[in-house]
Amino acid sequence: MAAITLQPDMDFVRRLKETGGHNLKECYQCATCSVACPMAPDNKPFPRKEMVWASFGLKEKLTGDIDLWLCHNCGNCSDLCPRHAGPAELMSAARDIIYRDMLKPRLIGEWMSKPSGLVPLFLIPALIWFIVWWIRASIVGSWFPRAADGRIVFGTIFYGDYTIDPIFMITFFGAAFILAHGCRKLLDKFRPEGKLAVIGKKKNWFVCLMEVLWEETGSASKFAQCEEGPATGEPHKTRRFSHTMLVWSFCILTFVTTVVAIGHWGGKILPFILIETPMPQGFWVKILANIGAALLIIALIMLTWRRATLNRHQASNYYDWYLLGIIWAVALTGMFTQIFRLMDWIHWAFVIYYIHLVVVWMLFAYVPWSKLGHFVYRTAAMVYARMYGRS
Amino acid sequence: MSNAILVVGGGLTGLTAAIEAAELGHEVYLVEKNPWLGGRVAQLTKYFPKLCPPSCGLEIQFQRIKKNPLIKCFTMTELVGLKGKKGGYTAKIRLNPRHTPPFNVDFSLLASSLEGEAPSEFELGMTKRKALYKAMPFAFPARWVLDPSALSKSDAARVAGAKFLNINEKAKEIELDVASIIVATGWRPYDMANLPNLGGGKWKNCISNMQMERLASPFGPTGGVIKRPSDGQRPLSVAFAQCAGSRDQNHLNYCSYICCMATFKQCLYLVEQNPQVRITVYYIDLRAPGRYINTLEKVQKLPNVRFVKGKVAEILPGRGDNLRVVAENAITGEKQTLEYELCVLATGMQPSLAAESLPLPMPLDMDGFVAGGEEAGIFAAGCARMPLDVSRSAQAGTAAALKASQIAKGR
Repeated sequence: MAAITLQPDMDFVRRLKETGGHNLKECYQCATCSVACPMAPDNKPFPRKEMVWASFGLKEKLTGDIDLWLCHNCGNCSDLCPRHAGPAELMSAARDIIYRDMLKPRLIGEWMSKPSGLVPLFLIPALIWFIVWWIRASIVGSWFPRAADGRIVFGTIFYGDYTIDPIFMITFFGAAFILAHGCRKLLDKFRPEGKLAVIGKKKNWFVCLMEVLWEETGSASKFAQCEEGPATGEPHKTRRFSHTMLVWSFCILTFVTTVVAIGHWGGKILPFILIETPMPQGFWVKILANIGAALLIIALIMLTWRRATLNRHQASNYYDWYLLGIIWAVALTGMFTQIFRLMDWIHWAFVIYYIHLVVVWMLFAYVPWSKLGHFVYRTAAMVYARMYGRS
Repeated sequence: MSNAILVVGGGLTGLTAAIEAAELGHEVYLVEKNPWLGGRVAQLTKYFPKLCPPSCGLEIQFQRIKKNPLIKCFTMTELVGLKGKKGGYTAKIRLNPRHTPPFNVDFSLLASSLEGEAPSEFELGMTKRKALYKAMPFAFPARWVLDPSALSKSDAARVAGAKFLNINEKAKEIELDVASIIVATGWRPYDMANLPNLGGGKWKNCISNMQMERLASPFGPTGGVIKRPSDGQRPLSVAFAQCAGSRDQNHLNYCSYICCMATFKQCLYLVEQNPQVRITVYYIDLRAPGRYINTLEKVQKLPNVRFVKGKVAEILPGRGDNLRVVAENAITGEKQTLEYELCVLATGMQPSLAAESLPLPMPLDMDGFVAGGEEAGIFAAGCARMPLDVSRSAQAGTAAALKASQIAKGR
């Protein structure tokens, strides 16, 4: 047998510990976790092997590990771990390090990893939208103008065609481009060295993608499977419904946004599909938007409650709380924007709307470096696993 | 002032301590909660280091007790109070009623005519005993016990007329003047109900290692033939799950020390009874301290026994009454689900004091082991202090007797 000299990356171990895998060195490789995990397949199950890679500081192995993304973080392994080594927390920390390190600019990854980074992350969009407000205010002649009919119309300041739409289009497509780049980098890491030969019929990626989306969001059967592990004797809080509800509320809100965008821009060409904002409360798109918002709030309450009351073996880290926090901020500012507008509190309405724009921009622009990136990275990994196996 | 020594617990440690102290010339009171002496050792089929039956070692100790008038044994007795200080304690003990006379009466005929039954404590619930019973054939003291709570209505009438039974006997409390105290309260097997992922004691053919000792014992529930509980079949495939509750911060946060050796011993029982048997031992580490390595090597050479490095983390019902055992082989990196006819959980040692308290001024650690008390003239020995095997428990008993004697000397 050839002698192999391991090259431990001690800095990586330290960072894993700081990011949430505090107890990873407690692991004594009993392999309870691999059995505790209902998602782990029989061949090379996880997370025992990830624990030893983490402990040995094998950064390349761990960050290129597709199994990190097959884990759905039910926490069963941490519940049953006899050493409280926290395999679930370690897997989570390893994913967070990927969010942080994989993409440029690194500075954003750095800021996204700690609470103090919130200041610059907030200031960037705050400055962008403040400049917009300032320019528009000097054109319109007031910081808090009213429409000709006396209503509060945010378009008077944040005029869609020239401010909101171009800025968010750039942000959205920029983030999508960076995410796609991240996906490519991640998939490159999964690929084994040398040539990859596929025996038999190669699966179509689109079919795989549809299957994955159905499992993850359509039926949420992955979450159901995730919670089928051995009895742990600990109270277990399900995420199946709350997470699905959150995903569906995002889908509804995305749909609404798309409809409004098509109605607005398309309406310039085809007048009969024109949609003007603010929409009347009885309009079906508005009703759908409010349903989406309500679902979002309910799901957020359930997910936050779950995180706040996790059992003694499981823990949440900063990445978990950032994601919940930013979605809360988007939902609450969005809701209060509408409430203050309807109550006709013009100063509050504009300020909250401004903050809403800032946090929405944060949510989208920083996706590639945040835990929210999982919806792309995890999907990519699961499609890859379906097409080529887990290597 | 007294030069007497109180020994709490009549297992091998307590017996040894009591005898050694008495042979030094002290008056000794030995208090035992069960109706018999010998504790956990009495329940074993064979014990290390020489793999003799328990009667072998216990018989010697019982002879020494019989010959020594300085030892007074109280069975079915608990320590309920303590006054005074080091060198001059007054211990209050409660003698629970046995309802049978202090001399040896053979009640076997009457007992066999009774209907009422209760799970046998001695057989760890694997069989039933009558309301009038002797825990094992060579129980010492060789006295029967009447458990009124297990009597049926017709039994009660039968017993009421029995000449040597006193159904109205009440518990009584007496006080003893002692100089020092030896605590040898021992251990109990960790409760399988605490291990839900391993079936929590719900699967009939998933037994504990102490139950396995009873199954293999010539005077056990099956007469020494290892049969699985569900259908009385002799198992052809057996899995041992090591560290079932031990080395686990959710259960016993320490190595119980004896379970590896107990499993090797039980592999020998199984192979001796059936050379066709196939055994898998699932482990984290194999711990064979000192010369016990010889036993490990002997078992490793057996073609029947396979060792898999990987802890069993789930046991599920399989075909028929079989069980499916899930573990990852950490060497090959494969998660295996294999079916076995019998599953033995190598449950660990929990100190008895983790669940019961003694009215003694001594600190316990978070696991329930005694962690001090010597300054008060209270000396813990054996498994009350740490997990030990039989021979080390005996040595610990002798050591405690020597220390307790130093307090009681010259009074």
